[in-house]
Amino acid sequence: MLILICVAVATIVVLPALGRYGAYIVYAVTIAAIGALALNLLIGYCGQISFCHGALLGVGAYAAGNFGNAGQDMSISLLAAGVVTALVSVLVGLPALRLRGLYFAIATLAAQFILEFLFRLLEPLTHGVAGLMIKPAPFLGMDLSNDRGYAAISIVILVASLIGVSRLLRTDLGRRFILIRDSEMVARGMGVNVALTKLWAFAISGFLTGIAGGLLGFTTRIAAPEAFEIALSVDYVAMIIVGGLGSLPGALIGAGFVVLLPEAVQRFGESLGAATQTSAIREMVFGLLIIVFMIYEPRGLYALGGRLARRLRAPFRRAGAASQLAKSEGVN
Amino acid sequence: MFILQLIVAGLAVGSVYAIIALGIVLIYKCSGVVNFAQGGYAMLGAFFTYALTTAGLPSAAALVVSLLLMGVVGALTQTLILRPMLKAPVVAVMMATLGILIIFRAICLLIWGPDQIGFPKLFPDGSIEVGGIFMTYNYVAAFLLSAVLCGAFLAFYRYTPLGLMQRCTADNTRAALAVGIHVSNQVTIAWTASAMLAGLGGSLLASLNGLSLGLSNIGLVAFPVIVLGGMTSLPGAVVAGLILGVLQAVTDGLLTPAIERVLRDYTEIYSVGALQQVIPYALLVVVLLVRPQGIFGSKESERV
Repeated sequence: MLILICVAVATIVVLPALGRYGAYIVYAVTIAAIGALALNLLIGYCGQISFCHGALLGVGAYAAGNFGNAGQDMSISLLAAGVVTALVSVLVGLPALRLRGLYFAIATLAAQFILEFLFRLLEPLTHGVAGLMIKPAPFLGMDLSNDRGYAAISIVILVASLIGVSRLLRTDLGRRFILIRDSEMVARGMGVNVALTKLWAFAISGFLTGIAGGLLGFTTRIAAPEAFEIALSVDYVAMIIVGGLGSLPGALIGAGFVVLLPEAVQRFGESLGAATQTSAIREMVFGLLIIVFMIYEPRGLYALGGRLARRLRAPFRRAGAASQLAKSEGVN
Repeated sequence: MFILQLIVAGLAVGSVYAIIALGIVLIYKCSGVVNFAQGGYAMLGAFFTYALTTAGLPSAAALVVSLLLMGVVGALTQTLILRPMLKAPVVAVMMATLGILIIFRAICLLIWGPDQIGFPKLFPDGSIEVGGIFMTYNYVAAFLLSAVLCGAFLAFYRYTPLGLMQRCTADNTRAALAVGIHVSNQVTIAWTASAMLAGLGGSLLASLNGLSLGLSNIGLVAFPVIVLGGMTSLPGAVVAGLILGVLQAVTDGLLTPAIERVLRDYTEIYSVGALQQVIPYALLVVVLLVRPQGIFGSKESERV
């Protein structure tokens, strides 16, 4: 945890030296990490597979945009977006009280399409297909509406939510989430109110999702339906699986991976001068990587990293044991 | 008369939904895998047919060759990707099929570009009139072809030894192993058949609506169909496909104008947009909440 805060502070300190593109990369990854953290809480810890995360991020973006355009401070708008999205998320989660696993996943797929439809329909709130323009808003009275400011805000929020979620997982409620993931039947047998616990998972995950969505809205300055389609949901599920289901650092690693990889391929393609084919190749690399991960390391990069670290450390440990053996022999 | 016209058009599109949903049910029954990539197979099949006809093959031959190619693609994806994932968690398998979908879309984008393509005519132009209802040959042929294929397919599963082995694998994998059925070969066969069905459905749909990358979304429309049909029931998928096709056509033709008229009178909303695209999902949620086993499914079909 201390390391995390140090890294965050260090990143904020070097931000001014990064330039606009560097700052953009930082906040893109950070915001994605907040969203991935929220989804990991739901899928990785509570076991509720959801394919409507993209639409929920959209709800957050529209809510924050509407509050921001009404002249609210960015911090207030983000909190309000969190609350609104938490409510919508609970609504989406209601079928989870009756459905499990695959069936629930399909129900969230339906929720994704229904929300997308509502984005287009509710013109007074969303401005339909054209999208809602979001004016820059001050953050706690300060003008931070530039790339570096956004990066700093998102890093602070990410650190806060990481600490919050890791604390939450040590509480009673957090333990109940994990129990429900592992076996609903056991949870029920132990007297856990499964329905209420699931709804809490949706509410908390939705709150974080709303904040991430709000940040997305403020940084891109527009919330349009096509930005929150099913592809975005798939991206987020990919993030937490690539990073590691049910691991907090995994959400960060996965977000970094899924955001940076297309960026890298895009840059590489542009340097070769084949911009038209680049997007296709980017998608192909993304799809291939998902499949390779699913086959060889379904537990994600974090588990892979842990395994590699152990393997690297193993020779030293053996050497240490040998020297201890030598010492003890020497004594005799 | 207008409503009959809508129903006929709906049945034609619905029969294509049925073909595509059949493939998903087949794979799910045999291996417990939910194939989110079915729309990708449909799109790929349609593009194959297109490429072969532009290469000079007559349309019927192109369709057959493209279906054979799709069979190979289906078998390959199963052996290369799904077979190593036998023991992986459900989410991982879902994501792998989504990965397949992403790759298929990328391949088609790379080769054929993002624009709508005029699909070659599989059937002659013109229409027939029955009792005041006009049907273009396209719709009639799509409906007949799908109907014959669905029937042949169900008969194959009911009456042939291979069909029996398939049903056995789907029913109880362990028992199938115990009586000496090579289960993983059966799963490969299911994927092959499902990819071919998807390829045919995709080609038919492209001949009705034109061809673009958007065709791959049909795989997601198939989910309301299979849930409505009961997830594990082949006839259920067919009936549900027809119901949804008709429902969409009627929504588009009658319901949307009616709702828009009411909305215009009382609110500032002028258009409800593509309501017919959301209706299946709204229905899906209702079905899941009220009768999760669908119309034809049995209670224990819910896999926990």
